[in-house]
Amino acid sequence: MRRAALALSLIASPLLLPAAAVAQEPGVLRVALNADIRTNDPGVNRDGNTDAVMMHVLEGLVGLTEKGDVAPLLAEKIDVSPDGKAYTFVLRDGLVFHNGQPVTAEDVAWTWKRYLDPATKWRCQSEFGGKGQTRIEAVEVTGPRTVVFRIDKPTALFLSMTARPDCGGSAILHKDSVDADGKWKGPIATGPFKFGEWKRGQYVELERFAGYRSLPGPRDGYVGGKKVEVERVRFLVIPDPAATKAALLAGSIDVAPDVSADDLEELKRRGDITVDMAPTMSVSGFLLQTTDPLLQDVRIRRAIAHAIDTAEITAGVTKGTGTPNASVIPVPSSYYSAKQKERAKADPALARKLLAEAGYRGQPIKILTNKRYGPMFDAAVLGQAMLQQVGVNAEIEVLEWATQLDRYLKGNYQMMSFSYSARLDAALNFEMMSGPKATQPRKVWDNPEALKLLSEAMVSADRAKRQERFDRLHGMFLADVPMLVLYNGVDISATGPRVKGYKGWAAGQPRLWGVTLQ
Amino acid sequence: MLRYILHRLLMTVPTALLVALAVFVLLRLVPGDPAQLMLGDTATEETLAELRAQLGLDQPIAMQFLYWLGNVAVGDLGRSITNDLPVLPLIFDRFQVSASIVIVAVVLATLVAVPAGMLAAWRQNSLGDLLIVGGATMLLSIPSFWLGLLMLLFFGVKLGWLPVVGYVSFGEDFGRALAYVILPIATLTLIEIGVITRMARAATIEVLRLEYITHARAKGVPEGRVLWRHALPNAFAPTWTLLGLILGNLLGGIAVIETVFTLPGLGRLLVDGIFARDYPVVQGCLLFVAIMYVLVNLLVDLLYPVFDPRVAAE
Repeated sequence: MRRAALALSLIASPLLLPAAAVAQEPGVLRVALNADIRTNDPGVNRDGNTDAVMMHVLEGLVGLTEKGDVAPLLAEKIDVSPDGKAYTFVLRDGLVFHNGQPVTAEDVAWTWKRYLDPATKWRCQSEFGGKGQTRIEAVEVTGPRTVVFRIDKPTALFLSMTARPDCGGSAILHKDSVDADGKWKGPIATGPFKFGEWKRGQYVELERFAGYRSLPGPRDGYVGGKKVEVERVRFLVIPDPAATKAALLAGSIDVAPDVSADDLEELKRRGDITVDMAPTMSVSGFLLQTTDPLLQDVRIRRAIAHAIDTAEITAGVTKGTGTPNASVIPVPSSYYSAKQKERAKADPALARKLLAEAGYRGQPIKILTNKRYGPMFDAAVLGQAMLQQVGVNAEIEVLEWATQLDRYLKGNYQMMSFSYSARLDAALNFEMMSGPKATQPRKVWDNPEALKLLSEAMVSADRAKRQERFDRLHGMFLADVPMLVLYNGVDISATGPRVKGYKGWAAGQPRLWGVTLQ
Repeated sequence: MLRYILHRLLMTVPTALLVALAVFVLLRLVPGDPAQLMLGDTATEETLAELRAQLGLDQPIAMQFLYWLGNVAVGDLGRSITNDLPVLPLIFDRFQVSASIVIVAVVLATLVAVPAGMLAAWRQNSLGDLLIVGGATMLLSIPSFWLGLLMLLFFGVKLGWLPVVGYVSFGEDFGRALAYVILPIATLTLIEIGVITRMARAATIEVLRLEYITHARAKGVPEGRVLWRHALPNAFAPTWTLLGLILGNLLGGIAVIETVFTLPGLGRLLVDGIFARDYPVVQGCLLFVAIMYVLVNLLVDLLYPVFDPRVAAE
């Protein structure tokens, strides 16, 4: 028996060694990614995973802070002309690309010329090409480190749109990122990591960029100090959450950036795993179709708002990690004022009274949801129970995510459990759900007065004025109830025993600078 | 024989055409917009319209089908919507991964299950039969994702013997590649053992009841020889057909196992394609799977006479 065991272990030993090697590769930080990235071309065909990886490689003139405000990144100084139509950026001195070449104003102009060319298929081209908030009329080089952007009309969103992670942060690139025909080769950018090996469907590797010139100070969103303490980062594609957890427990990965709230307690109980929680800027809640024959009566929508206990749903769905929030402006935002904290109180008696006043006679109200995103489904189940308690005949219809998204796009629903991804400017939070339903059926809130206020907040750069507009908008939003905002997402991450210094943040994306391996 | 092979191969063409048409129509009937899925909820109406035009999704469906079919006829399955890669090389890359797992697992399962099924049939209603049938039923009933996770937790997390996530191709590093595929192969083997054992047992019981077996025994032929010389070849023939079906089925992708063990196989490519409404990938994969199914079963049919010479005579 002992001989058999010895023989077995001898046969198995060459196979077991690699497992150990995988677990203890020095200087390599292994991070789970639930799907492969789509491309490494900034802002072209991207998703959340693509942004998560690429924002370690890319840097634009400006970036986002921890609270979602805009701050200089490659730019040292930004001047805005009195008419708000010219932005002058002065680049920081000594910046170099991943190929060692210095970053110049010419590179900025070349990069933006490429972005604005429709052939590049940059997803934000229309935003800056006149179909969205603004149109860039010219990008002028006025000095070796100075570049002027001229836009057609003043807007408060120019810088924040430039910093958007889904636009690739409008990263500045070296000309050698494309070949002679203008075809994309790979990113030669300025971020703290260089893009390394990409094995599709398996992993993406980033390498520390030794020539990186970090900003001073502590870590702050996508700006601030970015001190890289590891030689390489390997993002491993692990689609199954259970496999991700197993890999973390086995030491096969170091960071699981997106852990389910269901696993929180178990992971917390283990002494070797560190769990981190950070409120994010995603917005979750119930969309209410204001054109629906039944829900067009605001009294019924208000009844729903009073029937649903926001705090209880938040606690149930996020397992006590989330903060209830009825405002479309997320809690971490710098525009989240005292006024934004107001919300409809859970009051079943009032809900019943409103329903009776509206003449509600038990007509079914269907809540659409899906099972791909567990929190959306859980919220629908809890919401259904609360509505039934006040006599609403609430039903749940579970759809596949793409189908639900299609129904959202067409406005084809009564009530829908839904989450909006993070918008990092308060105006964009309102903009994502406000608009004329006749031409944009996906829009939730169609109130001309609100749209007027919103357009003012989008143009004005005056912070106090913007805050006042947002506070008024929130009051109107609570009165109209086009959506019942419940909570902002929580970014729960877990790290293995080798990792120190990992910290989640409002964008809900991993940041691997400032992280050490022991 | 050559005529037969050509006939069967020609029959593949209408099958593939029917599959192509069905897949194309069904996919378009499913709600969901690839452009919306790609751009997410930050998309504006303008960007959505632009992307749809870029992807050719603004064309009439009949035109889209004819265009796709014309390209398929010259071996071009199009480019993936999500990552802009050509679909055919993508399928071949992923198929290699799935095939390396599936073929080894089916061979191993056959080597274990056929003797086990025969043994159970030979000793029908004995304790051994009960144990084998019970074990096979249990393996057959266990969901593959659950068994996979158990294996992963026990051998990967608890014992730390094998890597939990990742994949290395055999061409890159044979030793490491082996370490990564042991658990998926073991999981699939165990699941398939259940199916094949039951089939082998049923087929052997049928054969053991036939007169020529009784005749052989009456002649005093030793029991071992009765089994291996007379029972096995005849009992294996129906099992061989089943193996063809299993292999054809599994080569189309083992999505669940590939997901649990993070293998970049064909099944995962297909499932991801469906979620992303990546029409060219889904269409290409399903067409490939259908053709693969037909070819594997053709191969099985051609090899059938090896086990049952009566078929060749017919």
